[in-house]
Amino acid sequence: MNKPGEEPTDRLDQPNDHLAVTPPKKWAAGVPAVVHALEYSLQQTSPLRTGVDLLTMNQVDGIDCPGCAWADPSPGHRHRNEYCENGAKHINDEATTRRVTADFFRTHSVSELSRQSDMWLNHQGRLTEPMVKRPESDHYEPISWSDAFGLLAAELNSLDSPDQAVFYTSGRASNEAAFVLQLFARAFGTNNLPDCSNMCHESSGFALHETLGTGKGTVSLHDLHHADLIFLVGQNPGTNHPRQLSALEQAKLNGARIIAVNTLPEAGLLRFKNPQKARGVIGRGVRIADRFLHIRAGGDLALFQALNLLLLQAEDARPGQVLDHDFIRTHTSGFEEFAAHARGLSWDDVLAATGLTRARIEQVRDDVLRSERVVVCWAMGVTQHKHGVATIREIVNFLMLRGNLGRAGTGACPVRGHSNVQGDRTMGIWEQMPDSFLDALQREFGFDPPRAHGLDSVNSIKAMREGRVAFFLALAGNFVRAAPDSAVTEAALRTCRLTAHISTKLNRSHTVCGRTALILPTLGRTEQDVQAGGEQFVTVENSMSEVHTSRGRLKPASPLLLSEVAILCRLARRTLDGKAGIPWERFEADYGTIRDRISRIVPGLHDFNRRVARPGGIQLPNPVNEGVFPTAVGKALFTRNTWQPPHLPDGHLLLQTLRSHDQWNTVPYTPNDRYRGIHGSRRVVLVNPDDLKELGLTGGQHVDLVGVWSDAAERRADDFEVVPYPTSRGCAAAYYPETQVLVPLDSVADISNQPTSKGVVVRLEPTGASPS
Amino acid sequence: MNTIEETIEIAVPVRTAYDQWTQFKSFPRFMTVVKRVEQVKPNVTAWVIGVGPVCREFEAEIVEQEPDSHVAWRSLERRPSHRGQVSFRPTAQGSGTSLGVRLELRRHGLAGALTGVPGLTRRVVRAELRHFKEYIEGLGEAGGAWRGTIRNGHVRPTEPEPPRSRVPCWPVG
Repeated sequence: MNKPGEEPTDRLDQPNDHLAVTPPKKWAAGVPAVVHALEYSLQQTSPLRTGVDLLTMNQVDGIDCPGCAWADPSPGHRHRNEYCENGAKHINDEATTRRVTADFFRTHSVSELSRQSDMWLNHQGRLTEPMVKRPESDHYEPISWSDAFGLLAAELNSLDSPDQAVFYTSGRASNEAAFVLQLFARAFGTNNLPDCSNMCHESSGFALHETLGTGKGTVSLHDLHHADLIFLVGQNPGTNHPRQLSALEQAKLNGARIIAVNTLPEAGLLRFKNPQKARGVIGRGVRIADRFLHIRAGGDLALFQALNLLLLQAEDARPGQVLDHDFIRTHTSGFEEFAAHARGLSWDDVLAATGLTRARIEQVRDDVLRSERVVVCWAMGVTQHKHGVATIREIVNFLMLRGNLGRAGTGACPVRGHSNVQGDRTMGIWEQMPDSFLDALQREFGFDPPRAHGLDSVNSIKAMREGRVAFFLALAGNFVRAAPDSAVTEAALRTCRLTAHISTKLNRSHTVCGRTALILPTLGRTEQDVQAGGEQFVTVENSMSEVHTSRGRLKPASPLLLSEVAILCRLARRTLDGKAGIPWERFEADYGTIRDRISRIVPGLHDFNRRVARPGGIQLPNPVNEGVFPTAVGKALFTRNTWQPPHLPDGHLLLQTLRSHDQWNTVPYTPNDRYRGIHGSRRVVLVNPDDLKELGLTGGQHVDLVGVWSDAAERRADDFEVVPYPTSRGCAAAYYPETQVLVPLDSVADISNQPTSKGVVVRLEPTGASPS
Repeated sequence: MNTIEETIEIAVPVRTAYDQWTQFKSFPRFMTVVKRVEQVKPNVTAWVIGVGPVCREFEAEIVEQEPDSHVAWRSLERRPSHRGQVSFRPTAQGSGTSLGVRLELRRHGLAGALTGVPGLTRRVVRAELRHFKEYIEGLGEAGGAWRGTIRNGHVRPTEPEPPRSRVPCWPVG
């Protein structure tokens, strides 16, 4: 009999519903990470391809790992194996030798595919030729590239308005592909450019842009290494950004303290065994969090408000010794109003929202007062709440009080997930681009870009539902699984006249079709990209604003694959038919010509081709680190933030969606979550044992998760097994994307319009108890 | 703690000497023990120094900087192994620069290793200042300049929108 988590390969293709639960791990990585990474890689592809991928991954002149957006160490300071377990799995999942051919689609109807799991679909392998599902058919069938572009162009040109088209971008897309897509969309006449950022860090972008004048994080790896105190708020580095653990290890060795703030005691927050160091292989590794704040979901705003109040009171007690008055006076605005607001904070509210004690928060204050250099890192545990923007603004307040911005070892660090999600936005993938960018496009290309704001992800779905959008093209990604309110999103997509996906592998979005649907198979990051102008490379930007090259080494999965850039350029040529006079053909032949145009349009990327060719590429400066705050008033802004705790009726829990360790974005690789001790099934809901007692439920019981929202719609995720787990009181957790069905489309963060996937009010109904 | 103070007179105006000193990446051109310098940010530099095959790396934070006056830094370590300040003053005649360096070395880490050899650090500092003097006097003008100010580790730009701050500033989700 196999032990939990050791299912044979043939069983990976089907979810195994036999749940086994083991105690959660108390450390991350180590030798098991290497073993699991190699095991999965070798299941997918050959030892040779695995070796080529892994040894060139994140190296200068190699492949940028598409797995996450964490920064690479400087050239000369990188390991020979500069990747993590999840990156290795991800890259070899793409390099798989399995293939999806026309025969596959002849055998499997779209209806049949739509009943398969995300995992099964992914395991079928790489897409190899363009396919079309015609209106009356239930099968995809082959189509030539030329006919596919003809079909797309005809559909686009038949729309009543360019705004009936939506062009979605996933963070896997390169800078070049993203630039070409936004250029095509705007030359066509729309700003409908939703992206996956809308669902992950949109709150960060809005909050940082408003308060600091720049939407990007301010720290580099150097800052993390030299910080005295690092907060990890609402993020799980062990699973979602494992290479961050190396930076945290270095910080700890340099003497830093780390405070983890989370609803779950994740393994990667507790201890890290670096598999590249003897202490990680045969030793105990490095303890990560010195202090773990087991906070309630959404309580981070209250925590930082309480800390800010405590800092103000500490300054009252020791005038001139706590706050950085020089920084506040010189670089900020709104301090007095902020301070007056902060002093009105109610401790009862703070303790209710956080679930922490005042003494615990005062201990954190003492940590802060002992620290000269503080960095705050955060991820979707912060952004995906109704008050996500307000929370990040409060974090900025916290940093500014003691001048922890712009100095060495300090700053704000939104930790982004998808490898080029930041770069795509830099390239203009945003529905609200400022006039300065649109003016530059106009000067460079001589057409008048549309000025009216377009649609983001949530508003695109609403527009489809209302019949205002008829055409949907996705540049990578798995839109229907990444988007909230799965049933609503799927119904909306099905109203489109045409849906098309530029993809490497099969996913559920291909099975949720408009009247006509197209699959446009493309090269992966790992593959050689040869065009008329010779072998090409692409560029990406990581979470720390470093823009660098990525060059695939493997032979493409099929000779019929086109690169993302080639697909978009050919689509643009066919659709625009010479209008706008943009040299799409040259762009496709030589990506350097795209970068030349980018260099004249995107500030900071001047001389792009020459500078990006240098080892390590280009470090885009952050104005904050130059002492510049390009806000409306030219200074960083203190803000006054309020929150309203979600109304949690008796018998209800606040659910957060999360990923398992064996998963990349919407794609689970296996049904296991090694660190949390969940094996064999993903339909589990993690609940605090005391909450279970109060709810009259027991571990192992099967329940339906029923969403509670202001509309009358019932949102139900059925048949989840209850697992007692040390989540915060009142909070539950279950896997994404299975529980996206519970996130109402209208439940979004204020200002950023980001779905609130970490704050969903649910009740647990024993399965079969409901009359429905 | 070991304190070293050295002064040298240079036959270029204060502004020229100061401007050249702000071009840290150029130091390996004329300093013997400085192998490589990376300007990470205006207030952070990463250094590789050494003799022959023996090299050490460290990062330094500039905590105070005033154009044509002084630059003060400290090594970026939990317990800084050294702090330093270089000051620029007009010479008595008015046309040259009196450049003074003050180094405070702790007996651990990088500086600890250096101070293990009696008088070595002082000799190195003296020699490297002489190299700087020969370099800038030979050129006669600085190869670049950074005219910002740094106070308590925070950069204050000289103009509202210095060139390096012109980067994409729209929200990034």
